[in-house]
Amino acid sequence: MASFDLTVKYAGEGGEGVISSGDFTMKAAAKMGYEVVTFKSFPAEIKGGYALSQVRMSDEKILSQGDGFDILVAFNGEAYEVNKPLLREGTVLIWDGPEGGDFEPEFEELEKKGVIMYAVPMSQLAKKEVGAYITKNVIAMAATFELIGMPIELLKEEIVAKFSKKGQEVIDLNFKAIEVAQKYVKENIKKVDPYKVPGPLPKKDVIIVEGNEAIALGALAAGVKVYAAYPITPATTVGNYLAPHILKTGGYVYQAEDEISSMAIVIGASFSGVKAMTATSGPGISLMQELIGLASMTEIPAVIVDVQRGGPSTGMPTKHDQADLFAAALGGHGDDQRVVLAPTNVEENFYLTVEAFNLSERYQLPVLLLTDASLSLRAEAIPTPDINKIKENLIERPIVRKGEVSPEELENLFRYKITDTGISPFLAPGESPKPYTATGLEHGENSYPRTTPKERTEMMDKRFRKIKNIEDENPHLVEWDLGDLQEGEKADITIITWGLTASIAKEAIQRLRNKGIKVAALYPKLIYPLPAKAVEKAASMSDIVLVPEANYMGHLAKFIRMFSSVPAEKIVQYNIYRGEPFIPKEIEEKVEEILGKKVQA
Amino acid sequence: MDIQYVRLEEKLPPREYKSSLESTWCPGCGDFGVVTALTRAFSDEKLDPTALSLVSGIGCSSRLPLWMNAFGLHSCHGRAVPAAVGARLAKPEVPVIVTAGDGDLFSIGMEHFPHAARRNFDMVVISMDNRMYALTKNQVSPTSRTGYKGSLTPYGNLDNPFNVINFAIASGATFVAQTYAGNPKHMTEIIEAAIEHKGFAFVNILSPCPTYNKLDTFKFYKGRLVDINKELGHDPSDKQKAMELAEHDYDADYNPDAKVPIGIFYKTEEIPTFEEKVEALKEKYKPENPETVWDDILSNYKV
Repeated sequence: MASFDLTVKYAGEGGEGVISSGDFTMKAAAKMGYEVVTFKSFPAEIKGGYALSQVRMSDEKILSQGDGFDILVAFNGEAYEVNKPLLREGTVLIWDGPEGGDFEPEFEELEKKGVIMYAVPMSQLAKKEVGAYITKNVIAMAATFELIGMPIELLKEEIVAKFSKKGQEVIDLNFKAIEVAQKYVKENIKKVDPYKVPGPLPKKDVIIVEGNEAIALGALAAGVKVYAAYPITPATTVGNYLAPHILKTGGYVYQAEDEISSMAIVIGASFSGVKAMTATSGPGISLMQELIGLASMTEIPAVIVDVQRGGPSTGMPTKHDQADLFAAALGGHGDDQRVVLAPTNVEENFYLTVEAFNLSERYQLPVLLLTDASLSLRAEAIPTPDINKIKENLIERPIVRKGEVSPEELENLFRYKITDTGISPFLAPGESPKPYTATGLEHGENSYPRTTPKERTEMMDKRFRKIKNIEDENPHLVEWDLGDLQEGEKADITIITWGLTASIAKEAIQRLRNKGIKVAALYPKLIYPLPAKAVEKAASMSDIVLVPEANYMGHLAKFIRMFSSVPAEKIVQYNIYRGEPFIPKEIEEKVEEILGKKVQA
Repeated sequence: MDIQYVRLEEKLPPREYKSSLESTWCPGCGDFGVVTALTRAFSDEKLDPTALSLVSGIGCSSRLPLWMNAFGLHSCHGRAVPAAVGARLAKPEVPVIVTAGDGDLFSIGMEHFPHAARRNFDMVVISMDNRMYALTKNQVSPTSRTGYKGSLTPYGNLDNPFNVINFAIASGATFVAQTYAGNPKHMTEIIEAAIEHKGFAFVNILSPCPTYNKLDTFKFYKGRLVDINKELGHDPSDKQKAMELAEHDYDADYNPDAKVPIGIFYKTEEIPTFEEKVEALKEKYKPENPETVWDDILSNYKV
């Protein structure tokens, strides 16, 4: 158990500095050596609307955003109203008062509940004492730092880092806001809550990255040379993070005219022999389906990142959902080969992006990386990746180069050579001695169009052979979590889940195990083709297989029914589709409910 | 940033640019002439078949890369241009020729053409313009004449044909020409000029469909073609005049004596290519010490 675990939530209106308050606090905590995980949410508009930024910090690895928060910093009345039901005994409310704000909390009611209230007149201090309303969030932050005992120097460092380009005047103004806030807290607030950040921990070799930043870095580490994409929330920032760095590694970020062209560009670049990638969200995946099929048919490696958001249609562009699995795995026409990977946390966003390139190169097919809106914005401090080690282990395409083959071998060199593994030599313009035409038409070994039943069957078998043993060949893409379960021991319940839900479930599972409940858990990172052997083995360990997912239909649960021999009656779906991720408590309670019912029956 | 294409030291005979695959086109198809002209142009330009990409979409004409000995990417309907953009971004030393049809480029693929043109990618885009859809058996295309009877428009095409020459010029193409499938010599000259041109080169090839299109036939074009450069002395740097000349052949629908202009309408090499700009950026941001690139990148994220 962690000895220190604190969650601070800033809430207010979009554009008021709520998000940067969370970011600054997260960075300060990480600098002190703490583990951090953020959770952010904001509306799809540029300004206005309810926004929140939550920072959880601990001295141990953090698995989820937590069940709630310990400290709420409410910038306005809406933030207070939205979060009021979540205030419980011992929660601290820092609010914009006693004067100058746009609301007043229900003191009596909250006092009865045991909520601790500190008034910090953020708006008023910013306007009257600092002379700049824009510094409201800095006052809120500085007051919070002062209250929880985080070194104010760390806040100052962040301010210098962020505003150094804007000049000394801006820095001075923010420093003044910090002083005003500190003075106010010292003179007016008597601390009665227990929330205090202990001293700094030993420094760790970590980097702080958000989910989409991790994907961008992973792509760079994998050697991406062409990145083509069309702006779409919440995937756009993958390109934003990649653009400033990629020139240094000899690549280019291209803003295409739409998602269809993005995918065509990826195919054209990869056909030419370089690693290429696109990132999009649900609507973009819908548009790309025909071309993903082309990459599959022509056996051209391609990496497609889908940062899922609420759908269908425009849906909820800034909200959480895990409902693109069907589209990612099965979208498009015909029987095609593709691979779908799903990271469960920020660190995996990095490593699975590298993995996506490796698998696409190895099997010569499109690989989709299925992440989500919450993970795209979630920041974590992750161990600094060892880039040299990653580079050593990159899988390279089997490009046949000029001078490498004898004239006799050249005769029999075919781009779509039928092999035992299904994997064929790759030919690329400018590098290979023998040209061919990649075509979406069914074709023979030499790529010439062919439609005889025999050749069609052989070629379909060849293409599917590539991924037939993908589970056995990549056991590292399935994460087992059996706790203290011994070999052959029966579990009370098996939980199989994916994506961000997996990291939330892990925290719930820890708590359940602390209560003596035996849980077997499986987190497939390779979700299509479904690793059926692992799923079947995990399912065989108990009578109930719970599949929590943030979608309505239960995509993974349905996949388990479709692609494994797990008895359908064993599978229990648990779906939420409200635009927010699970909280650990929900999964914990669901398991207790299921096991309770089971006992009664 | 001068980007040079890979070229052979010695010329290869034109037949070396043909694959052993028999074409599936109808006898008398204008596209056969395009293959002939392309193989001659590739030979004259000393292009290396192993460092040459032909990119197409879907349709009769888009099958062309299959009949050729060069790298080919026979992609999806309408997506030849962005696939070619990907190839250009990947390897600027490998020349890329798009061979597509009028429907592929200007109907389903319309969104892509002007963006590649305005960015001035160094590629050749050839439209094999039969002024209708052939592979799906006779429907109107954006370049079909008003009144053309297609299978979905038995009452005659209601639309005005789309002027692809003017559109290409307006989009920012830096080389715009028209030629005719019945004149292999002129075609070869134009394709060679397009390959040599640094920038986005659009070549519209009037290529009659003998099976379905009974209006825009070899017979129709015979005696109507006028070489705007040689016969009219048109200077391709005159953009205004180029647009006026491009309007001319559309008179043919109303004026039986109208001439059909062929030749180079517009050409400018004053605009840098997209690839040159990208290479310049890569050069500008090239790390001083490649060994420390990753340390530099990661330092942005260190606490």
